[in-house]
Amino acid sequence: MKKFLLSAGIACAVASCTSDITSLNVNPKSPEQVPAGALVANATITLTDYLATLNVNLNNFSMWAQHITETTYTDEANFDYPNRDVNGNTFDVLYTDVLRDLAEAEKAVAVDINLSEAQKVQQMAVIDVLEVYTYQILVDIFGDVPYTEALSSETVVPAYDKGEDIYTDLAARLTADIAILGGDNGLGSYDLLYGGNSDGWKKFASSVLLRLAVRVADHDLARASSWGAAALAGGVILTPADDASLQYASAPPHTNPLWEQLVQSGRSDFIAANTLGDVMNSLNDPRRGIYFRNNNGDSVVGAPYGLASAYPLFSQPGDLLEDPTLAHTLIDHVEVHFLLADAAARGVTIPGATAEGLYQAAVGASIVNWGGTATDAAAYLAQPSVAWDATNWQSRLGTQKWISLFMRGNEAWAAQRQYDLPMNIAAEAQRVTPLRMSYGVDEYALNNANVTAAGANYQGDKDTAPIFWDKD
Amino acid sequence: MNLNNLLTPMKRKLFSIAFVAATLLSLPAFAQRTTSGTVTAASNGEALPSVAVRVKGTNLAAVTNYDGKYSISASQNAVLIFSALGYATQEVAASGAVVNVKLSESSSKLDEVVVTALGITRDKKTVGYAIQEVSGAEVTKVKDANFMASLSGKVAGVTIRQSGTMGGSSNVVVRGYKSLTGNNQALFVVDGIPISNDIYNSSNQRTGRGGYDYGNAAMDINPEDIDKVTILKGAAATALYGSRAANGVVLISTKKGSARKGLGVTLSSGLTVGSINPDTYVKYQKSYGPGYGSYYGNTDTINGTYTDYRMYDYDFNGDGTVDMVTPMEEDASFGMRFDPNLMVYTWESMVDGQPRPFVAGANDPTSFWENSATFNNNLAIDGGSDNGSFRLSATKFDMKGIQPNSSLQRNTFNFSGNLKASNRLTVSTVATFTQQKGRGRSGTGYDSRNVNQSFRQWFNVGADMGKLKQYYDETKRNISWNPYGPLYANPTQPHYFDNPYFMVNESYQNDQRNRLIGNMTANYRLNDWLDVTARANVDTYSDLQEERIAVSSVDVPSYVRRNRNFTETNLDLILTANRMIGSDINFNGNLGTNVRRTYFDFFGASTNGGLVVPGVYSLSNSVSAPAAPSEQNYTIGIDGYFGRASFLYKDYLSLDLTGRYDISSTLPSENNRYFYPSASLGLIFSELIDADGISFGKVRANFASVGSDAPAGALRDIYVMGTPFNGSPLATAPSTSNNPGLLPETTTSYEAGLEMQFADNRFGFDLTAYRAVSQNQIMPARVSSATGTIFKYVNAGIIENQGVELVLNASAIRTKDVGLDFALNYTRNRNKVVELFGDAESLQLTSNQGGIQLLAKTGEAYGTLFGIAHQRDENGLPIVYPISASRGYRYLRTTAPETIGNINPDWYGGLNTSFRYKNLSASVLLDMQMGGSFFSLDTWYGFATGIYDRSAGLNDRGVERRELVSNNGGVNLGDVAVWDGSTLDEDGNPVTAANTEAVYGDMNYYGNSFGYARNAQESHVWDASFIKLREVAINYSFPMDPAGSIKGFDLSLIGRNLAILWKNAPYTDPEYGLSAGNLQGYQSGAYPAVREIGLNAKLKF
Repeated sequence: MKKFLLSAGIACAVASCTSDITSLNVNPKSPEQVPAGALVANATITLTDYLATLNVNLNNFSMWAQHITETTYTDEANFDYPNRDVNGNTFDVLYTDVLRDLAEAEKAVAVDINLSEAQKVQQMAVIDVLEVYTYQILVDIFGDVPYTEALSSETVVPAYDKGEDIYTDLAARLTADIAILGGDNGLGSYDLLYGGNSDGWKKFASSVLLRLAVRVADHDLARASSWGAAALAGGVILTPADDASLQYASAPPHTNPLWEQLVQSGRSDFIAANTLGDVMNSLNDPRRGIYFRNNNGDSVVGAPYGLASAYPLFSQPGDLLEDPTLAHTLIDHVEVHFLLADAAARGVTIPGATAEGLYQAAVGASIVNWGGTATDAAAYLAQPSVAWDATNWQSRLGTQKWISLFMRGNEAWAAQRQYDLPMNIAAEAQRVTPLRMSYGVDEYALNNANVTAAGANYQGDKDTAPIFWDKD
Repeated sequence: MNLNNLLTPMKRKLFSIAFVAATLLSLPAFAQRTTSGTVTAASNGEALPSVAVRVKGTNLAAVTNYDGKYSISASQNAVLIFSALGYATQEVAASGAVVNVKLSESSSKLDEVVVTALGITRDKKTVGYAIQEVSGAEVTKVKDANFMASLSGKVAGVTIRQSGTMGGSSNVVVRGYKSLTGNNQALFVVDGIPISNDIYNSSNQRTGRGGYDYGNAAMDINPEDIDKVTILKGAAATALYGSRAANGVVLISTKKGSARKGLGVTLSSGLTVGSINPDTYVKYQKSYGPGYGSYYGNTDTINGTYTDYRMYDYDFNGDGTVDMVTPMEEDASFGMRFDPNLMVYTWESMVDGQPRPFVAGANDPTSFWENSATFNNNLAIDGGSDNGSFRLSATKFDMKGIQPNSSLQRNTFNFSGNLKASNRLTVSTVATFTQQKGRGRSGTGYDSRNVNQSFRQWFNVGADMGKLKQYYDETKRNISWNPYGPLYANPTQPHYFDNPYFMVNESYQNDQRNRLIGNMTANYRLNDWLDVTARANVDTYSDLQEERIAVSSVDVPSYVRRNRNFTETNLDLILTANRMIGSDINFNGNLGTNVRRTYFDFFGASTNGGLVVPGVYSLSNSVSAPAAPSEQNYTIGIDGYFGRASFLYKDYLSLDLTGRYDISSTLPSENNRYFYPSASLGLIFSELIDADGISFGKVRANFASVGSDAPAGALRDIYVMGTPFNGSPLATAPSTSNNPGLLPETTTSYEAGLEMQFADNRFGFDLTAYRAVSQNQIMPARVSSATGTIFKYVNAGIIENQGVELVLNASAIRTKDVGLDFALNYTRNRNKVVELFGDAESLQLTSNQGGIQLLAKTGEAYGTLFGIAHQRDENGLPIVYPISASRGYRYLRTTAPETIGNINPDWYGGLNTSFRYKNLSASVLLDMQMGGSFFSLDTWYGFATGIYDRSAGLNDRGVERRELVSNNGGVNLGDVAVWDGSTLDEDGNPVTAANTEAVYGDMNYYGNSFGYARNAQESHVWDASFIKLREVAINYSFPMDPAGSIKGFDLSLIGRNLAILWKNAPYTDPEYGLSAGNLQGYQSGAYPAVREIGLNAKLKF
């Protein structure tokens, strides 16, 4: 009898352990729901970090714009982006970090019982503006990208949409958002750009719409005019107070990424490129001592673009850029003035302004914004080489806009493409800056049919093929 | 007493005694009598312990004790079968009360009693699947810090690769990679206790992005306590262990006490010293100083000396004249040619302000490596009585590595004991406590904590290791060979690299793991053929890792700590039946349950933004507020129910059937139950035919299907909380999407084998062919990031492994005094990725620095190296094109990446030769791998920085390679197809012609034709083949007086990894890897191989 009792006892002991199996495998350390604002804030930082960084694995465009070049390891300055999968990393960060968190935020807003209907509508519009901004970056880099089928649980092989169609939809979304935005959006301190005030977002949305309008002007002036009118009606960013910019923190991990690359890393990878340096020197640009240090007197000593060069012998990124809290701008009053000047130069009526006046305001605002004085600006603009030239306005405006976009590589490269600014031939690559990026290898491995079809619109995914708005 | 053979492998001898005793008590009806005697070795007459004695045709069995004595109850006409590891089985009629037997040594392992799944001991002859054993003596003969390394080359079907750092991990893969993204490591079971073999190396570490190789958890097993290692390879052998055993099982039986008179004491002591094998390290050029090329300074001639812009013109001493200053901030050696007559300012001038002759460092980095020293001491006491036995063992392992300031210590205390509590109840326990402490482990991969990042890739050969050591020893400051120099704002600070002595002494890590592995077992005999075993197993440890970066290092100073707690419990209840069905069929079977629970807890935190007070390594010493610690916690479990039925017909035909039903917590509740069966058949045909010369012949075949569950936390999506931004909390969706609809995965395998022995077992073979198909795999599949996620958990993929394993044995000489034996094993595995998720043709396992990817690619073997290749003409010649007259030719590269290698070898094997003359024995083990490849980031970068010997010296034209090609310098590119760089045919392909005269590539600066970014990745994929002289052992057993107090004294001289007899990859050990795991085929900052020579002494009382 004892043996059966023993066996039965052990069996019961064993069985009693088995009752809890379905309750296992929960993760007590990570939430399954979070406030929407925490996702919006994260997306905002990730997006801004991407735009601000000089990390060679992620963003090479300050080099592509030939503002700066590399000292020893010159591969990225020579447009070798596939080696580090910069194109694939761009997809990863913008789709899976920025757009994904924004999509998750939309879901969280929809189910948040603590938000009023009005706040939900505002927050959805704010999220939408950030999504539009992100897609605009993607289109400007690659041309066609996944859009209508992106971030869908329906497919793991999203089709690519035409860049032009995406732009059209983005403009429509912004137009709708502008109509909605205004007042308190309830995001409070989660809103890192405007502190919970949707009035700011309305100006941001209008300014991005203006950017889209000007971008397509060479391609489709009618559409540009219509979008531009909607943007102006919405009210664009005209003062520094309205700038969409992120003020970084002094402590890692939320410093300006520039500080990590220029200071914390202890490296000495970047120096002034002769492309920008020569132009600034020829124009006696007052920003030279701000953009760069280790100049030869006032002159920027730019290294031949793409050629290996010794750091101590050339101009280096300026001290201002070494501040960890340095704000990074998504779009600001300087850029808006350049956009308005462009529109005016094309014949669009800007109430109370002329192309020349807007151009002067833009250049002046840039100089002041970088820490120069109004006097510097006036003297600079008084030079025949800088002064407004209606017959040659594209080159003049383009050059000034390109100079003003220092450390904003994506937009500087876009300006260079839009205004067909002359670039140097990179020393090793023996070619000028590409007109777009080819798609990354991951897309070819994972979404082959769709990416191959998209690449066919660019002579077989060549980076020398222009995207739709880039007309000669 | 009644100790069942299900208990643990080592207990079988005790069990046998118990069994006999029980039989005597419970079956008095048979006309039995006791037969006893002594078993000795035919070769030297020594008593043989642990010989199994069995009464033929019955279940009666016994084992010999320490003095070779046995006692068994048998009927008068019974035949006794004597079998022991390493000896030929003998059958002897139990004709008298005393039967003494002499066993002769056998090179075959046919007569063994082998341990199978769940510790069930079986007669190896009757088992229907491949099984291979390695004795404890083999494992401890030439010890390694990680005992798994000692199995390399000894077992067919098992790939063992050592990562090559002190205390580093060993990759143990049985019969090929079966899981696309999951664990492919074998399961380790010690005395019936499945133990954790987790590898806590970070994903950064595994992909070469820095971090330490902390080894794998199973390396805690102390080789001194190992009695036997049994490798169960196929699914049919392992099915009873459930899903975790799909990758094969390494069963370890530890040594046990024996029932003997008095106490036995064994003392063993060893010292091993090691030094680097220079054949596996960089050979440096010593002719050219620092710099990347000719772009330093404002002039090409300084004070009348032509410098070719490879020196700065700078007034270093402030005397008003420019001086010659080296570009010391650079970590490459494409500078000016050394000239002892030139006085220049170098990195050392930053210390004393003085110029010195421009020469290469007197001591190159080879001298950085010290001699390693390992002390190993073990004391074991065993004893017993009629009612039980015990063994106590204490081991101290103490190692100082080749890297300065590195050490690894391991203390192991092991106890095993058993007690016959009553005639029916036997209880036993095993407990092992291990404490492992590491300090100054080697940093790995592309990281400043790995000195090889510099020594192999980025270096100034003008640096003298002796001086660097002296400067560090004298000042304890970070005086580097790589300061910014006088032209920078912070002249004396290190630029890219720290002083390596400062780094290893100040920025060191340490770790400690305290671990308890043990079980308690009770066996109760219900009747003469049925018993029940209850067993509780536990494996629990806590683990601490601390990592430091000292203040004044190039990298941000930091302190990181990680704490882990792991506990796994397994409760087993097993009913065992063993009886004859009729007179010809023996039935042996089990029914059981297994309840497994695994608890894991992780806490990791680090400082942020630097350290306030130098030398204080605590989280509170952080410059900025530390980010929230990372935490992980889960409990998972499986409830399993299993059964086994084995039938043996007349000792020559066997059939095994098993089935297991699992309920898993990691699958969704509607899909979390799954059943899997196995069947195996064995026929000893030599019993049926009578052929001269065939001493043994067996065919076997089996089939098995094994189900498997998901990793923890793969079902529901979660969010990751970030470090708040200016007070605003952050959250993000992780890059892997989970899947609530996962199904169990399945591996189906087939195996067939033929085993034959000839000429009185003088030679023979064991041939196995197998095929395994894994499908429906649970994996985080890489998907287009435009889906919003990088990985998504899915059930997908089919991977096939098929292969052949051959074990050959031959005894060339077999006499009383002299023996010469050969044992050879050979494995050829063919792996094929058949299908991936959706239409995907490749699954990226990792993307590594250097633009190289490791893929699972359909139609290819798992582990494709994917990167840029050479464009080739129709004859396969690489196409080259001219850059300029001065720079010569470069390779034309493919625009898109291609398959340029595969990590899988064509075959691998080992050859062990052992020689015996009287009391002297010697053995030599050759370990070899043919085929397979790896990418070297070391040559990828190192060929560009001009540190290797091949970048300097004379070329085949008798001119310095560093001269411009237009000056007859450069390097001959060999047979190539030459393209003019512009002419294309109508299809757009380059028009080429095979070269009729030699063409040269430039070797003048870092952008030369051979290094990174100028050459294709293909050029840096190297053949991983090798033949290694893995082990050499010479042992002498001093003859002892059996009556004396000292029972034995053995002295042995051993050598490990003495030489790589043949390899194709230059400057490295092709076996080196970053970490155990699936991500192989990549070297970055590889460590040199270490040759070890040691002396061991063993005393028995």
